[in-house]
Order: sequence, then C-alpha cells, then structure tokens
Amino acid sequence: MNFKSIQRVLLAAFLFLCCWGANAQHQFGNSRVSGDFGFNGMYYIPDSLIGAEPVDSKVRGNAFLNLLYTNGGFSAGARYEFYMFPLIDFEKIGYRGQGIKYFFADYTNKFISVTAGNFYEQFGNGLTLRAYEDRQLGIDNSLLGARVKATPYKGIYLKGVWGIERDNFEPYLGRQDYVRGADVEFSFGEMFPKIQEKGFTARVGASFVSKFEKSKDDLYFTVNDSAGGISEACIPADKLPENVANWAVRGTFGYEGFRFDAEYARKMNDPNISNGFIYKPGEALFMSATYAMKGFGIAASFIRADNMEYRSQRWMNLNSELMINCIPAINRQYSYQLIGDYSYASQPNSQIGAQLQVNYQIPKKSALGGKYGTDITFNYSRFHNTDQVPVQEAIDNGSPCGTMGYTSSFFKFGPDLLYQDIGLEISHRFNDKRWKWILAYNYITYNLEILQGHAGMMRGHLVASDLSYKITPKHALRLELQHLYTKDDEGSCAYAMLEYSFSPSWFVSIGDEWNYGNPIESHKIHYYNISCAYVWNTTRIAVNFGKTKEGILCVGGVCRAVPASFGCGLSVTTSF
Amino acid sequence: MKKNIIVIICMILSIHVFAQEAKDKHLAKLPAVEIQDLNGNPFNTADIQNDGKPVIISLWATWCKPCIAELLAIADEYEDWVEETGVKLFAVSIDDAKTSARVAPFVNGKNWDYTVLLDVNSDFKRAMNVNDVPYMCILNGDGEIVWQHTSYAPGSEEEVYEVIKSLVKK
Repeated sequence: MNFKSIQRVLLAAFLFLCCWGANAQHQFGNSRVSGDFGFNGMYYIPDSLIGAEPVDSKVRGNAFLNLLYTNGGFSAGARYEFYMFPLIDFEKIGYRGQGIKYFFADYTNKFISVTAGNFYEQFGNGLTLRAYEDRQLGIDNSLLGARVKATPYKGIYLKGVWGIERDNFEPYLGRQDYVRGADVEFSFGEMFPKIQEKGFTARVGASFVSKFEKSKDDLYFTVNDSAGGISEACIPADKLPENVANWAVRGTFGYEGFRFDAEYARKMNDPNISNGFIYKPGEALFMSATYAMKGFGIAASFIRADNMEYRSQRWMNLNSELMINCIPAINRQYSYQLIGDYSYASQPNSQIGAQLQVNYQIPKKSALGGKYGTDITFNYSRFHNTDQVPVQEAIDNGSPCGTMGYTSSFFKFGPDLLYQDIGLEISHRFNDKRWKWILAYNYITYNLEILQGHAGMMRGHLVASDLSYKITPKHALRLELQHLYTKDDEGSCAYAMLEYSFSPSWFVSIGDEWNYGNPIESHKIHYYNISCAYVWNTTRIAVNFGKTKEGILCVGGVCRAVPASFGCGLSVTTSF
Repeated sequence: MKKNIIVIICMILSIHVFAQEAKDKHLAKLPAVEIQDLNGNPFNTADIQNDGKPVIISLWATWCKPCIAELLAIADEYEDWVEETGVKLFAVSIDDAKTSARVAPFVNGKNWDYTVLLDVNSDFKRAMNVNDVPYMCILNGDGEIVWQHTSYAPGSEEEVYEVIKSLVKK
C-alpha cells in the first residue's frame, strides 16, 4: 500500500465518521460545540547590549483556534494554526507556517474507541511511544492516522495505533516514514475486585512500537562524526534497518499507601545521527517507589536510559522534532526565575540517575505547625551519563559509525555528573491567615558542557522567598525575592517581583532580574518586566513590556533555547 | 492543497451543523475521557459526580505554583464547605510521566482531602479546551458546567464558594 492510498483511506474514514456522527446526533440529541483560541504576539525592539538582534518583521505572533464538536460518544475537532510570522523563539526552531495541522473524528463507547485523523497517545510511561503537544515549547508530535482502543473484558485494555508523525508545518504528502504500535494492559484489581477490596493494586502491561523509514542511497551521503566533523557515510543504504522496533514491559504493585512502578524498554538497532550511526540496541529502565499517608509522603525514582533517542527520521536531531518516545526527566521541576536556565533536560541517549522527595506536614494546631500547618519538602536528585566503553572495532576504525559502538555496564554511573539538586522548601501559613510564606533553598550543580554546549560546571546556591499578604478578601500583594550565588557561568543574579491582584480579574506585576555578578562589566544588566493581566471567566488578556534574557526554557524536562528579546507583548487566550 | 480544500469544506459544513445545534442549547456536561485515579486505575471523567450535590473540578500540576496556592487556600476552608453544602472537589493533575508518580506523596504531604485524578497525557485538558492551568469549573447537581475560571488570584476562592452556595439554595 503506498502513502497516497493510505492517506485517501484515512480521509475517507474521517469523512465517514463525520457524516455518521452528524446523522447520529439526532438520536443522542446532546450535541455541543466548544473550542479555544490563543494569540501570543510581540513587538520587538532591538537591543544590542542584551543580544536582542533586529528582526526582519518587528511585529510577530502565534495564533491558533481549536474547535471541538461532541455528541454522545461521537466527537470531531480541528485546530487551525497561524504561525506565519511566529515569535522569534519559534522562528529559530523552524515552527513556521499555517494550516489545519490537527483534525480528528472519534467514536467511543463502553467497549471500543476509534479515532481517525490526528491523535495524541502514550503507552505506559512513554518509553516506547508518546505523541504529545506542548504549545509553549512548540512541540506537537501528534500522529496522523488511526487508533483503536478496546476493552474486551473488565480490566483488559488494548490499544493499536498507526500514523505518520507531525513534523511542524512540513507536508505529510510524500513522507516515507510511519509509526505503528500496540499496547496491552491488565488491571488485576478490576478483574478480581477482591484484590482491590483488600487494598491491593496490581497491573501489568506491555507495548510494542515499530517505526518504518524507507532507506534510500541518495540520502546517505555524509555523516556527522562524534568530533563534530563530517565524513562519508559508512553504512550503505541496504544495511540500514528500515524497521526499528521498540518494546517495553511494565508493572505496578501497590498496597494501601505504598506503590511500586517499573518499566523496562528495549529498542532494536537504530543507527541514527544522534548515536553516531551505531547498531547497539537501546535500553531504558524507569522505577519509582512511593509511600503516602496523611501528612507524609515519600517518593524515590530511578532512571537509566542509554541510546534511547527514537525518532521518525534517522537524520533528525533538532529539539524534540519527530520524537516518537519520551524519556522522562525525573528531577523536581522548579518555577524559580533564576534557575530556569539551569533546569535539567532529559538525556535519552545517556543518563542514569535517581531522585528522592519527601513531603511532610507539621500538624495543624501544633507549636511548630501553627494553626494551619507547615509544609516541608526535601528533595535530592543526581544524574550522570552512562558508562560507555568503545568497542575495539570503533577504536580501529577511528569512528563508531557502523559498529556496535560501545559497551555499557548497566548500573554503573558514568564519569560525568550532569545535574545535582539538593533542595528544601518550607511553606507556612501564619495564624493571621492573611500572611503566607514560602522559603526555599537549593544547591544546584549543572553541567554546562553537556547540557548547554559551553564549557564548565555551574555550582550555585539559590535562596527564594515568596511572601503573600491579603490586604482585604479581594486585594492581595505578593513579593518574590530570589538570589542566586555562583562564581560560574554568568555569575550571581538577584531577582525581585511584586504582584498586586484584585480578585478575580486583575493582576499587575513589576519585576527585575539583575545579573550583578556577571564577569563582564557591560553585561551587568537589569532585565525588567512590567505586566498587567485581566481575567474574565475563561478569557485572559495580558500585556507586558520588558527584557528577556537569553536562556533556556524548560517545561517538564524538555528544553529549548530562548533568544534574548526586548519589547512589548500581548497575549489573549479564551475558551468557549 | 486539494486535501486542504476538502478539509476546509468539511469544517465549514460542520460549523453549519454546529450552528444549528447551538439553537437548542443545554448547559454543557463533562466530556467522557479516560484518565486515571491515584492508583493508576482507569477512571472515566463522565463518572465525576456527587449524588446530586455540586462538584468543583480543578486542573492543576505539582509544578504550577498558583494552582497549589489555590488548592491550599481552599484546603483551609474545605471542611466547612463540605459540611455546609456537601460539595466535593476533584483535583485533576496534568502532571505527566515525569512527575505523576510524585502526585500521591505530594497530595498527602499537603494533607488534602480532595479526590485526586491523573491526566497524564492532557487528554481531559484538551477535551475541556483548557489552555493553561490553573483552571477551575463548577458542576451543579445535574452535572452541568455552570461556572468556569482560569488563573488564580488570592481571594477568588470566595467567589467559588458563593457560586456553590447559590447552587445548594436552589
């Protein structure tokens, strides 16, 4: 079956589901149209000091409109995106274009669910497949194809997918790669209710994903070697695997407050640009154990991922474009302004690490806890690269390309520390209910060379305070103060932000980040920001004016670069 | 291009259908989306109900500070709210695989009495057309969405309670 005919079949299925849904609505008679709209625009002012370069069009913006129609078990929807003159950070990652890049029709009942068109899906923890979107980062890895989910018996869940992965605004037509996969899960608690009644949880699951990508000679002309140079391709096209499988098994066992999760995934040989075209299979292990009771919780997790970057195309190595799976970054995620640039980004090809978090509430009405209790969070995480010893053949050839690459002992931590975080956070509500205070301390070690590509390690102490005061029941003030002390990278920074809110509609804030410790005198810059937002039900309108430092934006362990900018922004979001 | 035209025509036609349907408007109910409970067992959002009493739904995440501030503020009053109105709060976390395992310890560490659910791939968030968290909505006793709000300003929990009280009075 060629691609054109597959697309025709999909389109036909989509139209069929639409028509059928439109007819069926009279039977169910509970139809609903909803949607949401978002616009994020900016007027750019060049500022050579912070590195905000002049841009060819000064006014830029991202916009999208989602429409969703539901009627009983039937739903259909589409999203129109307009990114013709996108914000410069989207421009830099190539997220530029316009069109309906997301549309679907879906029918769901108690036993089966059928989707045609674009869909998002995740198998287990996402080690084999995770089609998802993150609008803020410009990630949309939806699959265009079909999905079937079935529940043939209580507690048994089956899923099957086939699709072509979205590649920003590139056309689907003519693509020579696709993804297919299946997932099964058994939930014993549902099959045998007695297990659940006794407080046990038990589930096992397995998934299998396979990607196809046609191999053609003319595509394999040169290859980047590990030293960053370019050399002739060492693998002839007929030796490249066209099908790359990735499978995983997983289990969850729980008893009352205790729970243990584990998933192991293995990817078959997948020579691609990110691993230097080696044949070594990839492996990932993700485990977590948690215990929770009222007022106390503890969570420990471990992850090891080696050679697990899994994309629709071998030659793609930009950001998260065409990623099929997602190796989670299990460190604790912070929203502190000053350590935003030092957020750990998951390294699917080489990481081993662990994370421990303890949450405790000093009881309400105790001497230390005060009337409303005090929450304490302690956190520790440490990540290394995996231990990798090149195979003899790679040493002899002077390049790993075309060989098994390296050997790696499974539980051994590699020589390079990637990231470490020791943190303590105390959140206290005073007896006088109007006052709330969060105080946090973090010691962060961040490998600049591996995670950002410029030499050195960043070791820094962060102290952050967030104090809020309710003046009257509707008016409140919030003061955020942060200080990052470091001798590395761009030196120490201080940050202050004052926000005034008039519930439920108005927010006004003014903030300043001062890079006073920058080793270069002229780079000791103030990055100030003024913003005002108005919220009415589900509509939010915000304007802001100020400077943004060049840095990294991370959402959930996935990061992308943000260029420096100066200007005035407008953002509107609404749903209906 | 041809395909695009077909899709656009299809959309226009559907909008026509939407417009007709919108005439006999009922209050919207929750979409039925398969998410998970705290133990990771499947949970259908159509099953969110409270025996004819009002329901609050909050979409939040462990990394979202205003979300936590909002849920903390309600936690202080929650006992009284439940006693007076029988309301029930469902806190649907949009934490994904990276952080979803830590939701249960987090919630217990905060000593919250909410029913916590997990929306690990944002399916429910999408079906609700939610752009950003925090997002909150209130269902009346018939499961219809009567009030929605996005973002949190200290004090807006008072408005939430006013809405709930007015629902119970009816």
